[in-house]
Amino acid sequence: MSASSLVGLTFLVIGESHMSLPGYLMDPLHDDLTKQGAMVYSVGACGASAGDWLKKVPVPCGAERSGNGKSTYKGRDATTVPIKELIATDKPDVVVIIIGDTMASYGKPFPQAWAWENVTNLTKEISSTKTKCVWVGPPWGNDGGKYGKTENRVQYMSNFLSNNVSPCTYIDSLKFSKPKQWSTLDGQHFSPAGYQAWGNAITQSLINLPDIKQVKK
Amino acid sequence: MKLSKIFTSIITVIASNFSYTTYAADIPLYPTGPSQDSAFVRFINGTDTNFSVVAGDTKSKIALNVNEPPSKYYPVSSKAKITGEFSNGKVSSPISLTVKPGEFATVVALANGSNIKQVIVKEQPDDFNALKSSLALYNLSSSGCASAGLLVVDRAISLFEKVKDGTLQRRLINPVSLSVQLTCNAKPVGKVLDLGLLQAGQRYSVFAVPASDSPRIFFAVDTIAR
Repeated sequence: MSASSLVGLTFLVIGESHMSLPGYLMDPLHDDLTKQGAMVYSVGACGASAGDWLKKVPVPCGAERSGNGKSTYKGRDATTVPIKELIATDKPDVVVIIIGDTMASYGKPFPQAWAWENVTNLTKEISSTKTKCVWVGPPWGNDGGKYGKTENRVQYMSNFLSNNVSPCTYIDSLKFSKPKQWSTLDGQHFSPAGYQAWGNAITQSLINLPDIKQVKK
Repeated sequence: MKLSKIFTSIITVIASNFSYTTYAADIPLYPTGPSQDSAFVRFINGTDTNFSVVAGDTKSKIALNVNEPPSKYYPVSSKAKITGEFSNGKVSSPISLTVKPGEFATVVALANGSNIKQVIVKEQPDDFNALKSSLALYNLSSSGCASAGLLVVDRAISLFEKVKDGTLQRRLINPVSLSVQLTCNAKPVGKVLDLGLLQAGQRYSVFAVPASDSPRIFFAVDTIAR
């Protein structure tokens, strides 16, 4: 991997709980992208669905990090930030969305119409700014746990997203590991090694995306 | 590895695990989706005069003009009864329906002599796809067209066949330019309708409604009010 694969590009990474707590995905991914030469802005909001990024919505926890700065974490005072506001402020070349588990409705019937409306509203909002976007789908976890994640549902969610995130490009996280390969704390959130592996795999996928190579030109 | 280094490593691992266990315990439990799916309703003016819909609770009004007969889809609670009224100042018709989670309901006003009648058609789609266009044919033509279809003009392709009165069919198609014509009992009727260039990810409906000589068709983009 070239040490300057993403030089000159600015990334805005938004995501759910995976991007919102210490030791989770935010730092490994942010660090990896930065090492590749990118300017990175990361914002996480626990439990935020796609539609929650169209407005300011309170969430139970969140985090943010800019460039070479350190991550800052919030509790009950955390909120989402409207995506257009983030894009106007950070001026990214690429928006990376890490949302899947928080919309998969584990343990409940899958809400097709709600998920379609949420996903479509966010992708339309981003594409209205003419900013490239990449949607990173949910990874395997362990069946059960307090969120009730299951392999069947995460596969279903990933298929749903792959069909519905266009014009964003879809990155299928299920290809990065085998089910249960990355150990979890609660069936859904990984131990540090899992987040490190996921972050590395996302970065590598981004480097190899034709869309990203096109932006570099 | 020296004993002191091993000891230090063990302490580090224990500290690290303690740290992540603490964070794990701190993760607030949040819902991974809504308790039930969304539900939507829209209103269609299938007559040849202007109508409006007045909502039963807020009394807000939606104009359904002849040249723009469909409303947007409005999000509704699937737990509550939706009430309102079709009205044009001369005749009116009360609206009352419930919509299940995941359903898209279409309430249509049709001419019935000097009065109007309503048809309610519900669909629960599972064909959401941002790479294709989704097109539906609603046959609301009453007795005028017992078995409706839709032909692609100049290509002799049948998009829909045998759509019974009061029902709909929907399918995914490639996002291309289309002109279509209604068929009744497999025979083309009425004027050609230009749908223009369909967009990927967009959902569309063609409505066949009664007219003086033969059923007519018109077209709606299935947008959701925000």
